[in-house]
Amino acid sequence: MKKFLIKVNGNQYEVEVEEIKGGTVASQPTVTVSSPAPAPAPAPAPKAAAPKKSTGGSAGSVKVDAPMPGTILAVNVKPGDSVKKGQVLVILEAMKMENEILAPQDGTVSSVDVSGGASVDSGDILLTLN
Amino acid sequence: MNNEGRMALLNEKRSQISLGGGAEKIKKQHDAGKKTARERINALLDENSFVEVNAFAETRSIDFDMQKKKVPGDGVVTGYGSINGRLVFISSQDFTVIGGSLGEMHAKKITNVMDMAIKTGAPFISINDSGGARIEEGIDALKGFGEIFSRNTHASGVIPQISVIMGPCAGGAVYSPAITDFVFMVENTSQMFITGPQVIKAVTGEDVTFNELGGANAHNSKSGVAHFMSENEDQCIEKIKKLISFLPDNNLSDVPYEENNDDINRIVDSLTDIIPEDSNKPYDAMEIITSIVDDGDFFEIQKHFAKNIIVGFGRMNGKTVGIVANQPKFLAGVLDVNSSDKAARFVRFCDSFNIPIISFTDVPGYLPGVNQEHSGIIRHGAKLLYAFAEATVPKINIIVRKAYGGAYIAMNSKHLGADMVFAWPTAEIAVMGPDGAANIIFRKEIGNADDPIATRNKLIDEYRDKFSNPYIAAARGYVDDVIEPASTRIRLISALEMLAGKRENRPAKKHGNIPL
Repeated sequence: MKKFLIKVNGNQYEVEVEEIKGGTVASQPTVTVSSPAPAPAPAPAPKAAAPKKSTGGSAGSVKVDAPMPGTILAVNVKPGDSVKKGQVLVILEAMKMENEILAPQDGTVSSVDVSGGASVDSGDILLTLN
Repeated sequence: MNNEGRMALLNEKRSQISLGGGAEKIKKQHDAGKKTARERINALLDENSFVEVNAFAETRSIDFDMQKKKVPGDGVVTGYGSINGRLVFISSQDFTVIGGSLGEMHAKKITNVMDMAIKTGAPFISINDSGGARIEEGIDALKGFGEIFSRNTHASGVIPQISVIMGPCAGGAVYSPAITDFVFMVENTSQMFITGPQVIKAVTGEDVTFNELGGANAHNSKSGVAHFMSENEDQCIEKIKKLISFLPDNNLSDVPYEENNDDINRIVDSLTDIIPEDSNKPYDAMEIITSIVDDGDFFEIQKHFAKNIIVGFGRMNGKTVGIVANQPKFLAGVLDVNSSDKAARFVRFCDSFNIPIISFTDVPGYLPGVNQEHSGIIRHGAKLLYAFAEATVPKINIIVRKAYGGAYIAMNSKHLGADMVFAWPTAEIAVMGPDGAANIIFRKEIGNADDPIATRNKLIDEYRDKFSNPYIAAARGYVDDVIEPASTRIRLISALEMLAGKRENRPAKKHGNIPL
């Protein structure tokens, strides 16, 4: 769990963020509001990555990953859905284009590891199939 | 011995040689889903056109009791014949004869037909199915390989060279296919690698099967070493015949002409609305290609590798053309290490063999990332620029949508010597996209505004209206004409006819130093 001190509109928030890898269920980031503490300049928090909320499910054997860094525009499937090879699973916005991430083979969605709005890097797992 | 006896001896020797390794080994080959060396030649070449050369070659090695082994034809069948009436030279390794291993005479047979192919200016096809160097012959086997590679290199750019991997091709042997122009592989039965799974396991501890390591899929989609993948040998052979139909015999010939009924004045209505209204949405660039080439017949090369760019052959007005097109459906159609390599090699092949090049440009830029940078996108991207600039064949570019920055230059731009550059009304030719530009050019204005977000959006729209179109480039003559998409085929055929007699001179030199 990483802790960040974030200042928004003059208010200070203490935010705990857990980075999710693979298909494990994420715990919601906890937000504790501390009253305007005499805070020294908050440690230059690196751009706190938007927590990649997963909609659960356990990891399957076929991993579908992001080919480019970008933002998730839409997730078209959920765990348990059966998909055909070539079906559009996720829309990833990258290079100012809507890029369709297609199913590499027929299968069932095992886990979905990102949701709309999430920032992803090349190689980040988007979802897994069985 | 009288004359009758001599004739009988000749026939007996001939029939023994044609049996290769014998009936049992032939059955084993068939059981593995593979044809024999001679069966492959007969399937590929026109019926009864094959003339065998050097059938009686024999190894002179006597180490390790080599003289006791039966090695008909020294494990390879070589000669010439025709494919659809056109002369080709061929060598086909015989896996049934001591594993098709390469010895001194085996290599000599191959280099003999290669020399003939170069002298007569005809394509050379090499079918690989071999366990590798014949260890018993030691350095003589290495000499054999070296002489083959040397000729592959001398013949490169003189005659089309095609390698067909229909079995193992391991160790040093892989360098011959690597130097040739096109590599065909068959699923499950062909493999290429420098070091095999056992050595890899011993040295690095990695566990991998033959097929995972160097099978048809690995080389067609991961390494980019192979250009074609077929389910079985019959399909592979049909593909080879199709490829040959697009290629000239040698670098001094014109491209072949195949008559067809596709009207050279055909209006392509389907292209009018193919570009989506929203410039962020993808479409299939393949639809553009197949709708403008003769009879929709497009022969794609390296289909499974670097899918963000499409390369292949088609015909326009009956004559072969080479086509390069960004594919927005994959990786947003960006240029990256692999797509630059794939396209650059194809462009240089076309230039070597007098094949005009048509490019369809819709490229938002180069793929960002530390991985790309450290993999040398600078070096690889430069290859594509070099290839287009170097080419003296007719070069025609159609900018269908985005053409930003360095990628605009790299994709067959006027500045690299394209002869005709067309743009569709949907073209966006600019130094960068509106969002990126707004961040840089209007940074201060946005920063000082009361409502930065609204101001930014307004400025982006203004930039888009002013710059995301083909007219500024057309005003400068960087674009020769802005055309209706439906008229693309007509304009291309007209330009190709006009450019048919093109001659371009370059300063004399031994050869350039393309970044590698």
